[in-house]
Amino acid sequence: MHIPDGFLNVATVATTYAVSAGGVGNAVRIANKKLGEKQVPLMGVMAAFIFAAQMLNFPIAGGTSGHLTGAALASILLGPWASVLIMTCVLIAQSLIFQDGGLLALGANILNMGIIASFSSYYVYRLIMSLMGNNKRNMLIGSFAGAWIATVLSASAAAVELAVSGVSPLHLVLPAMAGVHALIGIGEGLITGAVLGAVLAARADLLQLKPI
Amino acid sequence: MKHSFLDRYSDGDSFMHRLDPRTKFGTALLFILAVALTPPGSWRAFGLYLVIITALLLPARVPILYILKRSLVVMPFVAMLAIFIPFFKGGEVAGSYNVWLWQLTVTYSGIQVLINILLKSWLSILSLIWLTSTTRLPDLLQGLERMRMPRVLVMLMSFMYRYLFILVDEVMRMKQARDSRSFGGRSASGGWQIRTVGNMIGTLFIRSYERGERVYAAMSARGFDGNIRTLNHLSFRLSDALFGMGYSLILIFVGIFSQLY
Repeated sequence: MHIPDGFLNVATVATTYAVSAGGVGNAVRIANKKLGEKQVPLMGVMAAFIFAAQMLNFPIAGGTSGHLTGAALASILLGPWASVLIMTCVLIAQSLIFQDGGLLALGANILNMGIIASFSSYYVYRLIMSLMGNNKRNMLIGSFAGAWIATVLSASAAAVELAVSGVSPLHLVLPAMAGVHALIGIGEGLITGAVLGAVLAARADLLQLKPI
Repeated sequence: MKHSFLDRYSDGDSFMHRLDPRTKFGTALLFILAVALTPPGSWRAFGLYLVIITALLLPARVPILYILKRSLVVMPFVAMLAIFIPFFKGGEVAGSYNVWLWQLTVTYSGIQVLINILLKSWLSILSLIWLTSTTRLPDLLQGLERMRMPRVLVMLMSFMYRYLFILVDEVMRMKQARDSRSFGGRSASGGWQIRTVGNMIGTLFIRSYERGERVYAAMSARGFDGNIRTLNHLSFRLSDALFGMGYSLILIFVGIFSQLY
């Protein structure tokens, strides 16, 4: 859920910008070290891929449709720091091109949908893979769980930010956001798993890339 | 294929288009900040901000209808986030309703906060539309780089912008193929639809990844060393200084006015 401008108070804007700047700065440092600047074109195309994949919507019950957010997919395929960079680019572009998510709220949105979503999904996926063993079935379970948790956690973080800004009380907005996104997360999880299954069937070597 | 929804009108020519991207980015951000700091209920200040942003949008020669449509498309999502506010603010009660098990109470201060937030969001969106429909994204990125945005991020965004159109084309072709095979019909099961979209995104990922590898190989064959050189230089002119200073002064003045009254 993209937070628009007008919702967050100045303290929250400043705090989330500081945290996101630190996280993205670290991602930039790590990418510079591990990639050199040579693989920047590849990562840029990957950011365009996430952007384009978000345009593929699928019908959900009741005439509504949903689409992928992609943080979990990017972090499982390419690694959490790469995913932070990619999601940062996607979120900046969404804010500038589609006015989806505000400019002052950008720090909060990068924190929720970039940093929190990437790391939570990546480590949940890794945890499940290492606990249950590395095979196709567990990979699908891991990616489902990772994407679901990422969706719920980033919505919960958004709820906390809204509550801290005094928009609505925490005991109402947190269960509401977490509840709705627990449902949305099922779609995100199923699609993420289906994508990984398709990649595994066609180019399994791409899943063995060294995560960044 | 058609993807004119991506930075349409930014290629036009007007006084606003000719301003330096840094001037426009800085002042657009200042406008959003000024709007965000406006205390709830200062309707006159909101009116002034609307006049200001209209005065900026008109000389940009962007169709009004497009701006309205563009700014209202996002508002349902904004409203969804804000819709609960009137029910949970304390204060003088405007109305009380019994809905099934809940006793819902709407307060005047709650309604005021709701309208306040919706107005702030809308004005901020208008300011962003002014920025992006008068500035080409590559220029804006170049401006952001001069304003100390990390180079890697700027380069990532430039590549993303360059390949976005190709990949969106790809997605639209895939969508057309899918829809012509009666996707989403009533008889289709949910699992089948999920698998279809999964396969499509998986295919898109592999194609994008391979394209990225080819792009990188082609670039390094031509001597790419991590720097992008451009003949398109930004220039900060007198008109930028005058516009930037004038606009900022007006915003600061209205900001102080909104705090006092």
